[in-house]
Amino acid sequence: MRSGPGLSRRALLAAPLALAAPGARAESAALRVATVDWALLETLLGMGITPVAAAELVLFRQVAVEPPVPPSVIDIGLRGAPNFEALRLARPDLIFSSNYYAEMEPTLRLIAPVETLSIYRTGDPPFARAEAAAARIGALTGREEAAGALIARVNAQIDAERGDLARHAGRPVLVLNLGDSRHFRVFGADSLFGEVLVRLGLANAWGDRTSYAASAPIGLEALARFPEAFLVILRPVPPDAARVLSTSALWNALPNVRDHRLAVLDSVDPFGGLPTAARFARLLSAALRAEGDAARQGGSLG
Amino acid sequence: MAELTLTRPARLRPLQAGLALALFGTVLFALVLARQPALEGPDATALEQLLLWHSLLPRAATALLAGAALGLSGALLQRVLRNPIADPSTLGIAAGAQLALTLAIAFAPALLAFSREGTAFAGGILAVALVLAMSWRRGFEPVTVVVAGMTLSLMAGAMSAALILARGDYVFSLFIWGAGALHQQNWQPALLIGTRLALGAGAALLLLRPLELMMLDDAAARSLGMAVQGMRLAIIALAVWLAASVVSQVGVIGFVGLAAPAFARLGGARRPGAVLLAAPLIGALMLWITDSLVQLTASGGGDLIPTGAAVGLLGGPLLLWLLPRLPASAPQPLRATGHARRLRRPGRALALLAAGATLIAILALLAGRDLEGWALTTGPLLAELAVFRIPRIVAAAAAGGLLGAAGAIMQRLTGNPLAGPEVLGVSAGAGVGLALALTLSPAPSAALLLAASAGGALGALALVLLMAAWTGFAAERLLLCGIALGCTGFALLSAVFAAGGPGSFRLLAWMSGSTDRVGANEAWMLAAAALVLLLPVAVLGRWLEILPLGAGVSAALGVPVGASQLALTLLAALMTGVAAFFVGPLSLVGLIGPHLARLTGFASGRSFVFASALIGAGVLLLADWLARMLAFPYQLPTGLLAALVGGPYLIWLLQRGGGRHG
Repeated sequence: MRSGPGLSRRALLAAPLALAAPGARAESAALRVATVDWALLETLLGMGITPVAAAELVLFRQVAVEPPVPPSVIDIGLRGAPNFEALRLARPDLIFSSNYYAEMEPTLRLIAPVETLSIYRTGDPPFARAEAAAARIGALTGREEAAGALIARVNAQIDAERGDLARHAGRPVLVLNLGDSRHFRVFGADSLFGEVLVRLGLANAWGDRTSYAASAPIGLEALARFPEAFLVILRPVPPDAARVLSTSALWNALPNVRDHRLAVLDSVDPFGGLPTAARFARLLSAALRAEGDAARQGGSLG
Repeated sequence: MAELTLTRPARLRPLQAGLALALFGTVLFALVLARQPALEGPDATALEQLLLWHSLLPRAATALLAGAALGLSGALLQRVLRNPIADPSTLGIAAGAQLALTLAIAFAPALLAFSREGTAFAGGILAVALVLAMSWRRGFEPVTVVVAGMTLSLMAGAMSAALILARGDYVFSLFIWGAGALHQQNWQPALLIGTRLALGAGAALLLLRPLELMMLDDAAARSLGMAVQGMRLAIIALAVWLAASVVSQVGVIGFVGLAAPAFARLGGARRPGAVLLAAPLIGALMLWITDSLVQLTASGGGDLIPTGAAVGLLGGPLLLWLLPRLPASAPQPLRATGHARRLRRPGRALALLAAGATLIAILALLAGRDLEGWALTTGPLLAELAVFRIPRIVAAAAAGGLLGAAGAIMQRLTGNPLAGPEVLGVSAGAGVGLALALTLSPAPSAALLLAASAGGALGALALVLLMAAWTGFAAERLLLCGIALGCTGFALLSAVFAAGGPGSFRLLAWMSGSTDRVGANEAWMLAAAALVLLLPVAVLGRWLEILPLGAGVSAALGVPVGASQLALTLLAALMTGVAAFFVGPLSLVGLIGPHLARLTGFASGRSFVFASALIGAGVLLLADWLARMLAFPYQLPTGLLAALVGGPYLIWLLQRGGGRHG
């Protein structure tokens, strides 16, 4: 899997309680874990494991929203520049990291053994990797059943939403971020959202042309090529974009906008894990089912 | 700085060339229109009409008008500042506007809903007002204005980067804006820029006679009855107004204001009136053609690269191509340092500086914060935390020393106070290498990033040296060459930002200048590199005293002019490239170090460089410590703190009129 040969037996052995004999499984509470990666943080929380420290919690609570982060978790600062001293003082036994933080791994290893679980790699569908990451976390913390439960819960929820959305089956949906009043960014087939769309029985209108991480901002006029698509706009919507678009001739003439085939979803972490997949599925399914209501609201972007 | 007077190549017929360009632009635009994808569905025809009238045509109009406004603005600024490398970005307009937008996004999003354009405009104007206030006492002396503009740009840029990093929301819009994307969905930006351009052009027409008088020196102009200061102020305000209108509407498009007037002069325009007419036309065509090319190369997934970034990419090589055609001019002799004192015993002062830097290092090692509060770390905890603190301290000291020394060498070599180390384009090269590694590798390790950054820096260095050797090391050419390269490099970086993704956050962290990723290995490598690069200064110091006297004097004194310039440039560039990976491209340290060293009275080449290095080390050490402490456990970027520690002091020096630069 993603850790490759990396997670060394050494690291496992160094994490003292992780791999005790099956009969003497350690209490998970005894293993102090920390993470710099948000997708892994939400996976941990989704499995009921409270890490001792995690990165950039102020923004996590705004962007990822779920699951809630208990106040006991020590904030070690920006993901891009975690405070190693604070992490050291939190005394973790095991640190979860991802490919985005490969550069700081040698320093993290000075604090505790590091397990690298990468969900987002160009060209690899992230959903399966998110499941694998959960399973791996379960194995390393002695919480296999929690990992299994999380995976089952998310899949069951998506399946249930798929059932609810039966009458929308095969419908083209375009998931996008508005950058300003003139540009958007779209989520392609190899994004987590793209995969969830397919699992919900919907179709990604964008096709498999591009991946999220590699696409430049796209001019708003490109939306005219997808008159059939249901537009899913992820918050945050910049305030001036909302204001300008409401009066824009081009925007209001787009068939989807004119017919109110659009919804604005609450913030979802574009680089999230399984809980994010479940959150996106729930929000999207609710939006599609409430499509008629959205029409009454006039498709406001606010 | 001397005006660049361009010889007019006989075979170039400006009018024909201009018409050919216009025809080329028209053909390209026709291609853009022809290649629009056919739409489907019942609304297809109506939508296609709508796209033509509300997207394609306004986009072309915006490109033309914005290019013209930038060209006019650049022509005015270059004339009034008598500086061929002045353009709206040198004055801090773009950086000021970006900071205003970023601040508004972070703290007052309602302001943006009210007027995004107005917010950016206010930031740009405020930046320029600060720059002018700083240079007031020195009579808006062109060089001082540019130094002040540079200083402000660096500070504003670092603050913007830090804010973007700290606040995730809306960063996407800032990246788009920073790369100057020209997509349109109504006529509003075109109309806004158009009306300002018309007003600006009218005002420029009225100012034509004062502008012609500005070719004379201040005293001569004054004797002809001109209020030099007031007129200069009015012209600068006009240029800024034009540039800020473009910046606020479509974002950062840096190169047009620099290149259009240069091309105008190359085409043979000599008198201010001719340049003022030609520069907007050239600027308009430049941006229009670039934007059409951007649209033609776009795939279904969007433009490969935003227009503002693309024009930087095209513009850099163009300027490089222009370089050999510029006539050589001798390096400016150093201004007499006036009342500045000369230290009688520089050795002792150097020792004092070294002691000061060491004290700061000890403070940084021992004093800190833990999860409870402030604490003096001792005993076993110190041993534990030292593995994190020592590499940063070593890296900050070494990088600060390298940047200070590189700045000192560059300023002596070029006689231009604007010549911070980043003028060499080496830092931008390092950034491009970093960006490549981040884009291509799914899990870039520290070693890979270091290697990529070094590769980028060396590539840029090779290019600069090649160009410099080709053009005979004239100081102006070296500067222009480095700026062209830097321009291209940063344009590439802004395109990577616009693409978004996690890699762009790593790049942003680099841009804001942080030492927090430095491991023990890198720190000691950096320290070794600093020693290796600083030691030759002891030998080469004599050159630094003689070269500023001019090529003739230098040769007469037995200094091999070409070889010594090559050696010193190489040294400064290597210093910058090595430091750039660790603390980013921010070179305020490379400006502050030499300024303070000169003010203290270090006059001989050798002691001047070493003093700059020590001051640079001290400043960066202090900045790094503050960066770790102020918002614990969140870490601020060291580069930002360096700007905040040293910047105000530099500004104060300038305003006091005590900071002489050479």
